[in-house]
Amino acid sequence: MKEFKYTITDPVGIHARPAGLLVKEAKQFASTVMIIKGEKSSKATSLTKLMGMGIVKGDEVTVQIEGDDEEACAAAMEKFMTENL
Amino acid sequence: MALDYRKCAEEIVQHIGGRDNIAQAAHCATRLRLVIKDNDKIDKKALENVDGVKGMFENNGQLQLIIGTGTVNKVYDEFLAVTGMSAATKDDVKAAAAAKQPVWKRMLKALGDVFVPILPAIVASGLMMGLVEALGKAIPGFASTDWYNFLDMIANTAFAYLPVIVAVSAARVFGGNIFLGAVIGLAMIHSNLLNAWSLGSADVQIDYWHLFFFNVRKVGYQGHVIPVIIAVWLMCMIEKWLHKHVPEMIDLFVTPLCTVLATTFLTFTIIGPIFAQLETWVLAGAQVLVRNPIGAGIMGAIYPWTVVMGLHHMYNIIEAGMLAEAGGLNTWMPIASAANFAQFGACLAVGLKARNNKTKVVAIPSSMSAALGITEPAIFGVNMRFFKPFIAGMIGGAVGAIFGAVTGIGATAYGVTGIPGYLTIDKPVQYTILLLISGGIAFVLANILWREEVDEEGAGKNLTDKTTTEEVVQDVADAAQGAEITSKTVIACSAGRIAQPTPGKVIPYTEIPDPTFAAGVLGQGVGIQPEEGVVYAPMDGEISSVAESKHAIGITGSDDMELLIHVGVDTVAMNGDGFETFVNEGDTVKKGQKLMTFDRAKIKEAGHPETVVVLLTNSDDYEDVKFGEDI
Repeated sequence: MKEFKYTITDPVGIHARPAGLLVKEAKQFASTVMIIKGEKSSKATSLTKLMGMGIVKGDEVTVQIEGDDEEACAAAMEKFMTENL
Repeated sequence: MALDYRKCAEEIVQHIGGRDNIAQAAHCATRLRLVIKDNDKIDKKALENVDGVKGMFENNGQLQLIIGTGTVNKVYDEFLAVTGMSAATKDDVKAAAAAKQPVWKRMLKALGDVFVPILPAIVASGLMMGLVEALGKAIPGFASTDWYNFLDMIANTAFAYLPVIVAVSAARVFGGNIFLGAVIGLAMIHSNLLNAWSLGSADVQIDYWHLFFFNVRKVGYQGHVIPVIIAVWLMCMIEKWLHKHVPEMIDLFVTPLCTVLATTFLTFTIIGPIFAQLETWVLAGAQVLVRNPIGAGIMGAIYPWTVVMGLHHMYNIIEAGMLAEAGGLNTWMPIASAANFAQFGACLAVGLKARNNKTKVVAIPSSMSAALGITEPAIFGVNMRFFKPFIAGMIGGAVGAIFGAVTGIGATAYGVTGIPGYLTIDKPVQYTILLLISGGIAFVLANILWREEVDEEGAGKNLTDKTTTEEVVQDVADAAQGAEITSKTVIACSAGRIAQPTPGKVIPYTEIPDPTFAAGVLGQGVGIQPEEGVVYAPMDGEISSVAESKHAIGITGSDDMELLIHVGVDTVAMNGDGFETFVNEGDTVKKGQKLMTFDRAKIKEAGHPETVVVLLTNSDDYEDVKFGEDI
């Protein structure tokens, strides 16, 4: 399992548009991506759950990746989040 | 000020009658779910005033306290610490709540649980049997054709081997091995045994086994239900006990062997004979009863109970006896017809009144089968399960049977009841009145007596929390409007249909005034230009998320459909101002239930488009997604 932390810089946080993009990105991989903030967590492929977490600018989230292609997936997720979130 | 979790937990314990009054405790996303032993010890007023408790209601034997996301788990931890209880899962709580119900109710529930999964088999057979029999009576000569023979065999397969189907289902319900269950069912109708159905019609010699001091009749249990269920229940108990006590190394050899042996022995020596005796009594009693109108009324009322016990197949003996007398008329048939047609009426009432789609799709076809004289689907699948319709059916059947006995109508053959009964009845006009009386009374009574239970917390809350008449009236009006608006489908795919959640003009997602939504990044769907600031659930499902800013709700429906309802564009910036939500994450919602209201003027004021966005966010997962106005 791979794990990294990321602090959100996007002004609206993980809301509709960014969340949609995140889901698209995560769906490309076979690995399961979990987004964790405090006690809440969601699969990165579940848009409604992600949005329900209410992640806003300044929140630190933990991203856990587990699966066959976790190396590649973790790299791609980190790159995506830095660029978009 | 942060909530004092400890204090909150202590006060809750105090107001529900202390540790000793708590049977189980668990929590979900927002609620503390408790099973209370004695509800009278609860101080509801005081509970509501506990700092941290936002609301409370009772549902299905559970006391639920709304505490809130992120807080409830902390209060729960303290609650466990205060009471010294161990954590229970939601299922434990549900089970404990179920255990609080009276025994007969639990038994009925078990019966229902056994029968509902096998309904397709019974409905198929029942309908086919009714039709084949009717055709055989209507078309002279048809009964001797190969087609009749073939269809007749197919139609009665499920009934001829009903014990096996029931046994498998019962084994599943009672937690045993379903294959061992099948063995028990098969043993009870083994071809070496005399077929129970041939018992009544011919002079057959019954053989006996002599096992220890038991004389066991070598007769099968065709058409029986209750002995089979009891046998399988016993089997599951034996099996579970053995699993626990037999060393694992030899478990596979010992447990199945001993389970089958012990169960079958007890079944043939004790359980079976008891029911065989019961049968004889019922038959003898029935013969005496039907000779006068009062007896006929009683028989009409208890007839469905004998169907439940699988005894009704034996009535053919009575009917055959009646016909055999000089100038004999089968006056038993009108009684059976009244009883069956009353079950039809009650079941139809449930089908028409139910808003729960699952109930509807079972009740309507079951009622049709009952009208043709095959009442098992209606009784087990619907009327017995809700019980009140069953009572309505008993009353309707009793009145109809009295009418039948008074007018003295009868049939010239036996085997068919209900609508196909016209083929054999001697006075069709009176028979029509009989059917109308029994079916009609049952229909009307079922309509009055039976109210659909709203089984989940979301809807239950709406009903139990409201106290004033205005609020209740408002609820009813909301429900009616919700049902009307959500009658149009705006998104459809292989996984299900999604209704229009809010009144207004429907546009495809590509025309939503926001590039993200329009590009389909979030999935396919529609936008709605709202005419009113209200959102209803567009499908049954579970609330997967409620945005902190209250403007968006996610629902997970059948087959993992994920639906997003997002009110307005960029309205996240309004931070919840002007929005009110009525559901919490984890709630189960029914189509047409009110989810949210929003203030259209405030959205306009803030300068945002008010389009309500309805998207199937995982539309990529389905191939045949269609969307648009009322598809």
